[in-house]
Amino acid sequence: MNDADVLIQARDLVKDYPMGDDVYHALRGVDLTVKRGEFIAIMGPSGSGKSTLLHLLGCLDTPTSGEYLLAGTPVHTLTADALAELRNREIGFIFQMFFLLPRSSALENVELPLIYAKIPPADRHQKALEALQFLKLETHAHHKPNQLSGGQRQQIAIARALVNKPSLIMADEPTGNLDSATSEKIMAQLAQLNAMGNTLILVTHEPDIAAYAPRQVRIKDGKIVSDEVTK
Amino acid sequence: MTAASAALDRKQIFGFWGTVVELVRIALRAIWASKMRSFLTVLGIIIGVLAVVAVVSIMQGVFQSFLGQFEALGGDTLFIQPNYRLYKDFEEAVKRLKLTYADAQAVAQDVPQVKEICSILNRQDAISFHGHHDTTQVWGTSDSFASMNSFTPQYGRFLAPMDVAARRKVCVLGHEVLDKLALADDCVGQEIQIGKGTYQIVGVLEKKGGSVFGNQDDAVFIPLSTAILQYGQEAADSLLIQVQIQDPKLMDAAIERISAVLRRQHGLRFGQQDDFRIVTQDEILKQIKQFSSISTLIVGAIVGITLIVGGIGIMNIMLVSVTERTREIGIRMAVGAKRVHILYQFLIESVTLSTLGGVVGLILGWGVAHLTVTILHHTVAETFPPAYVPFWVVLLSMGFAAFTGAVFGVYPAVKASRLDPIDALRYE
Repeated sequence: MNDADVLIQARDLVKDYPMGDDVYHALRGVDLTVKRGEFIAIMGPSGSGKSTLLHLLGCLDTPTSGEYLLAGTPVHTLTADALAELRNREIGFIFQMFFLLPRSSALENVELPLIYAKIPPADRHQKALEALQFLKLETHAHHKPNQLSGGQRQQIAIARALVNKPSLIMADEPTGNLDSATSEKIMAQLAQLNAMGNTLILVTHEPDIAAYAPRQVRIKDGKIVSDEVTK
Repeated sequence: MTAASAALDRKQIFGFWGTVVELVRIALRAIWASKMRSFLTVLGIIIGVLAVVAVVSIMQGVFQSFLGQFEALGGDTLFIQPNYRLYKDFEEAVKRLKLTYADAQAVAQDVPQVKEICSILNRQDAISFHGHHDTTQVWGTSDSFASMNSFTPQYGRFLAPMDVAARRKVCVLGHEVLDKLALADDCVGQEIQIGKGTYQIVGVLEKKGGSVFGNQDDAVFIPLSTAILQYGQEAADSLLIQVQIQDPKLMDAAIERISAVLRRQHGLRFGQQDDFRIVTQDEILKQIKQFSSISTLIVGAIVGITLIVGGIGIMNIMLVSVTERTREIGIRMAVGAKRVHILYQFLIESVTLSTLGGVVGLILGWGVAHLTVTILHHTVAETFPPAYVPFWVVLLSMGFAAFTGAVFGVYPAVKASRLDPIDALRYE
């Protein structure tokens, strides 16, 4: 395996949270390697540590111990600001609750990562519009989130995740708030993104959603219990 | 290569100002989204700036008009008056101190720098005409008074040398006196009562408004000699002497010479203090300016306190706003906002908010000042000077408003920027 193909290399990731006098061990030593262009699903019941793993892999947090290399960058050594810059450049998030800014239009929501990437306004509009066009939502560019359906909101969030061309897209229960028809549509779009070469990490507790991913990683009590390629 | 470096330049230029513009836009949207709350938040700032702009501009209007009057005198004018400061008791000072027509004559003869001189006797007295009674300022003076102070008659003439020499019972009226006594414009030739004497009107002055001598429209002018006859020796002994010298450059020499002449006149021995004071335009201007800056300082202190109170209001609401928008902060952080971005976002919001308050306060304050002056015009004094808003007041009040927003916005902004992205995203 060529090093350039490896996007994520996590070694013995441990995350402890102090709980009063006790310590809660959320992750107890996780090893994970993800190649560029992969689509993996991380599955596990609530409390299994999958959210913690998502936060670590998504550079929202740093591990208590262990090493995490994202595109060669040693994430475990970074400061809060360096993490922010890394998230901005390398990661696109899709959340269960969509997490759009309610007062901003669809277009402005998609532009958000580009603002922090210091892209000039004209280029920003152009790129955000392209991302919306890709999801066939350009006609809704000036609508506010509350004027859109749940599926459309999640598509805006996908456009926002795509717009800065990150090397990794992380989806946290992306269909958790959607009906099954809409869920299928969203998952099909995510699969399409992967087919176009994007690396995708999907976190879910629903097996039929996880089934869209060729590789499934199961986590329980802070440890990976299985890691299999099904397709 | 060149295209790439051009793009890089653009990115760098956009970097700072682009970010500021962006943040102001975000701030305006957040402020607009809760209009009522924003308004109530900055009410303190609005009232503070309103108060200062209104008070300062009315005061500045008055000062500017004073300054204008004294500047109109020119740098070649000085006044001699009894040195009332020699006595603690003003009544006693008036009795003991003397400044007489003979002093004025001595100055006129023995001070070569003198171009024109006039002695002035001032009394307040009753006036009446055909059943109309009132009071006004009576000025006993001579013909040179009109030329030295650029008084021009609208009807008839001013006092003539002949009037003074012959102690004639004639008078020249200020414009407001016509209204007070219900006299027609062409009243020249009629007779009015001033105190105990009956005087024939020989002239009416043009409307002039305030001057060094107060409101000269509400005054009557009679020959000095006649005034001395009417008001007696005590009045004749405490005159005001106005002197115009040939050239402003000769001012110091003139003052020195006048002092010497008056000390000799008054028989003062070496070491004895002057019993007269020589006041120049420069000195008066300095005093007005000093008074102006002291009052501005006091107003400034009041404003400072108001703005602190206003600032606390802003801090309070910004803290609420940070809490309410925790989710938003989490989203921004997740997509790549650094701490400094969040810090600036909330700081700029608070500065934008307080500056908007400052602008509103400035406009309202300007309005209130002009309204007040207009009302004063129609009620108290027709001659009340118009309000004047100096540019430094605009700058200062805007600066203070923005500064208040910055100072009191720091804590909420720091609090926002220190949030943990995961906690912020999870916040319900």
